[in-house]
Amino acid sequence: MLFQTIINGLLLGGLYATATIGFSMVWGVMGVINLAHGAFIMIGAYVGYWAFAHFGLDPFLTIPLSMAVLFVIGYLLQELLLNRVMRTSLLLSLILTFGLDMFFINVVILLFSSDFHSVNTSYTGSSLKVGTVFIPYVRLLTFTFALILAGGFYLFLRRTRAGHAILATALDKETARLMAINPFRVYSLTFGAGAALAGAAGSLASMLFPISPIMGREFIGAVFVITVLGGIGSVEGCVLAGLLYGLIQALASLVLGVSYQNIVAFIIFLLILVLRPQGLFGKRFYGEIS
Amino acid sequence: MAGFDKKDAGPALPSIVLGAAVLVFLILAPFVLSNYWLRVLTSILMYGIVAQGLNIIVGYTGYHAFGNSVFFGIGAYSTGVGMALGLPFGLALALTVPVAVVVAVMVGWPLLRLSGHYFAIATVALNMAMMEMVINVGGITGGAQGLALPINPMGPAMLYKIIYLVMLLILAGATATVYWLDRGSLGYALRALRDSEQGAQVMGINTTAMKIMAWAASGSFTALAGGVWAYWFTFIEPSSAFDINISIKGYVMMLMGGLGTVFGPLIGAAFLELFATIIWGKFLKIHLLLLGMLIVLVVTLMPQGLLHHLRWFKRRGKPKEVIR
Repeated sequence: MLFQTIINGLLLGGLYATATIGFSMVWGVMGVINLAHGAFIMIGAYVGYWAFAHFGLDPFLTIPLSMAVLFVIGYLLQELLLNRVMRTSLLLSLILTFGLDMFFINVVILLFSSDFHSVNTSYTGSSLKVGTVFIPYVRLLTFTFALILAGGFYLFLRRTRAGHAILATALDKETARLMAINPFRVYSLTFGAGAALAGAAGSLASMLFPISPIMGREFIGAVFVITVLGGIGSVEGCVLAGLLYGLIQALASLVLGVSYQNIVAFIIFLLILVLRPQGLFGKRFYGEIS
Repeated sequence: MAGFDKKDAGPALPSIVLGAAVLVFLILAPFVLSNYWLRVLTSILMYGIVAQGLNIIVGYTGYHAFGNSVFFGIGAYSTGVGMALGLPFGLALALTVPVAVVVAVMVGWPLLRLSGHYFAIATVALNMAMMEMVINVGGITGGAQGLALPINPMGPAMLYKIIYLVMLLILAGATATVYWLDRGSLGYALRALRDSEQGAQVMGINTTAMKIMAWAASGSFTALAGGVWAYWFTFIEPSSAFDINISIKGYVMMLMGGLGTVFGPLIGAAFLELFATIIWGKFLKIHLLLLGMLIVLVVTLMPQGLLHHLRWFKRRGKPKEVIR
């Protein structure tokens, strides 16, 4: 039972990690807390659901589609709306993204109604049995895909010119500008990439969770905790913190009961903020431009 | 030190006349308006209190208490539990102030050391944690099932008038406090703290005590609004009392009207609530969508607030950067 709980927690933690990376990067690079991140995950899930319901496509195959759709949405939002606000006050972005969250949720309600949907593939119910532990194939696959995406994003940041531009802007906007990097272009790119990762996470989540317009709100709590736990703007921190978070949640519900899951999460969050605001693994990162 | 950065000594005559007219209308309103409009007006006043409470901590102190709705919930629940234990409404409501102050001091001590985004998010987590706590405590709070307050014997028509007047009184108190902050030396200290915490410290301002005091005041007014709301609705549950949308709406109102001004939050509250009421009736299905769009428009087009733009037209000057 204990072993099963640990496995379940870790498998879910991998998905949480990928759901968090985009949010953490956006916060780290430009100091924007994107409250619409949950809506991005939700839209990703709906893209997966839509392709599955109409064309019978497996959500794993439509990950690129979700990513493309959300990259465009994210890029345009940053270009048209957020960049304007960043010139005045970074904290206004909090309100702005909340308005966007509200907007997206209600657009999806108009398009798909507020009913719950689900994606059931041929292998949804089956699992791999290792000793006494059951590992559902869906969870194993989402976990694997989540880690591949996280790794891919890490390589994108460290190995490509665009990635280097993002990191450079995060570390020192003024110097980056001297190197002929346009920070606002970089912001749009970061926001687009972050949204794309959220979309991918949403597609993965569509196979595990009931799909509804407000499903993003369930995610955003976990996303906050993992971001702060892992250190803001750190991809590797996100992955470690995501796994840790999944583990803590699973153990908390085993020991204290399901209703205490969230309390434990929020208390960890507050403690980390007060005692170690740079996160468990991070050093004091970017995002300090308030 | 009073009125340090004000060009004029006091408000001009037209503003006084306008203010007096609005005040007379507000006092007479419960006796002339229909129940429907009284309800709308009560809700404007309630959000006015929430926005004014936020104004103290955000506009004057510079700490973005995004989850200030935690005090709304605390107020609602301490009034509700007090009345369930047999206290009269007035006493139960009055007791929410010490409760809010105790919470603000206990939680503010560690949290107000955080800056910027961290504080904003910590208050959101605090709100969520409190909500889960009430759900799990159960017992006298009613837990997830909610809590029904005793029905008052005087009948709804009378009750709604009283609720309205109590809200008006609290809003007047909150606005007077903000006015006093705007003019007095305490407000000067808070603004100094907002603009540069280290600078304020060097000038001999006890920043920790100031911040906690400001949050306690902000929380007390918000809690009072929550307490009256609980009696107004007579049934409260954790998800509606600790609804983060309450403080977000208050935040938008404050931004619309202009943060760090005395009357801005009130103008914002009246504008947004009336707008929402009209939308409610006409576009039932998409009202939240329109509200979201309105928020986006306000933030991108006039981040300095309505009041600021009105003044700008009057002075034909260049709008100065107010918000950090």
